[in-house]
Amino acid sequence: MGNFDVQRTNDDIKLSIRGSLDINSAPALGEEIDKLVATRPATVTVDLSSLDLIDSSGVAALVKLYKGIRNGGGAVTIAGARDQPLAIFKLLRMDKVFNL
Amino acid sequence: MAASIRISVPGTLRYRGVAVRVVAEAARLVSGSGGRDPKNPMVDPLMDPLSHDIRHPFDTAVVSAFMEIFNNIAIHAYQRKGGGTIELDITPSKDALVIEVRDEGRPFDIDDVAPLPTELDEESLPEGGMGIHIAKTMLDEMTYAPGPPNLWRLCKRLPATQVAVGRS
Repeated sequence: MGNFDVQRTNDDIKLSIRGSLDINSAPALGEEIDKLVATRPATVTVDLSSLDLIDSSGVAALVKLYKGIRNGGGAVTIAGARDQPLAIFKLLRMDKVFNL
Repeated sequence: MAASIRISVPGTLRYRGVAVRVVAEAARLVSGSGGRDPKNPMVDPLMDPLSHDIRHPFDTAVVSAFMEIFNNIAIHAYQRKGGGTIELDITPSKDALVIEVRDEGRPFDIDDVAPLPTELDEESLPEGGMGIHIAKTMLDEMTYAPGPPNLWRLCKRLPATQVAVGRS
């Protein structure tokens, strides 16, 4: 039981992450990301509206997802980032790449 | 002279949450954000306590920076093996928070940290090496002195316009 949920609809995937995505929780998400990328979905939507806290390990996991899906020809939408996670994405200047 | 909070935790990621919570509470002592958010009074008491602890920009900066330093010590200084402690000396005052973090692990070469790409696009999105950059950018001062003990000194000041709020 992790801090994320995966919903599949045909070729589309919605990944919802809640609570804290950090060095302790990111490895489990990373394993799920490897599985998701391998299925080469057309679209992945990442919902961060319930994410309260992120660190660099969590950011790295999301970058891995983003690159993996894009390299497979899919599209990634990251939405709902707020508070501390949004501040981190802005600090790293990833908010523009992710269109946050 | 402001009073200090001192705690010692084993130098493994298992104890990271304990240390982060103490630091978050200390940050709230300075920022004055300890009360429940008046815009969202119905916070679910079963939620992670941190979920409403770090919305204030000061708390965000302190906690974000500290998490990265703790990660760095557990991974690089103690190499994920533990075997030592992380000593925290936290000093909140009316307008700043100073955190001294000591460990007995391997010294870290802070000058070896590569800068982030100046132009960021899909190809150059980094998958690592962001932690020290986050900590340094979030804080007003960050110094590191190799030991033993290795000593990180982190300082975040409350903006002058917010000091009065922090006192109330």
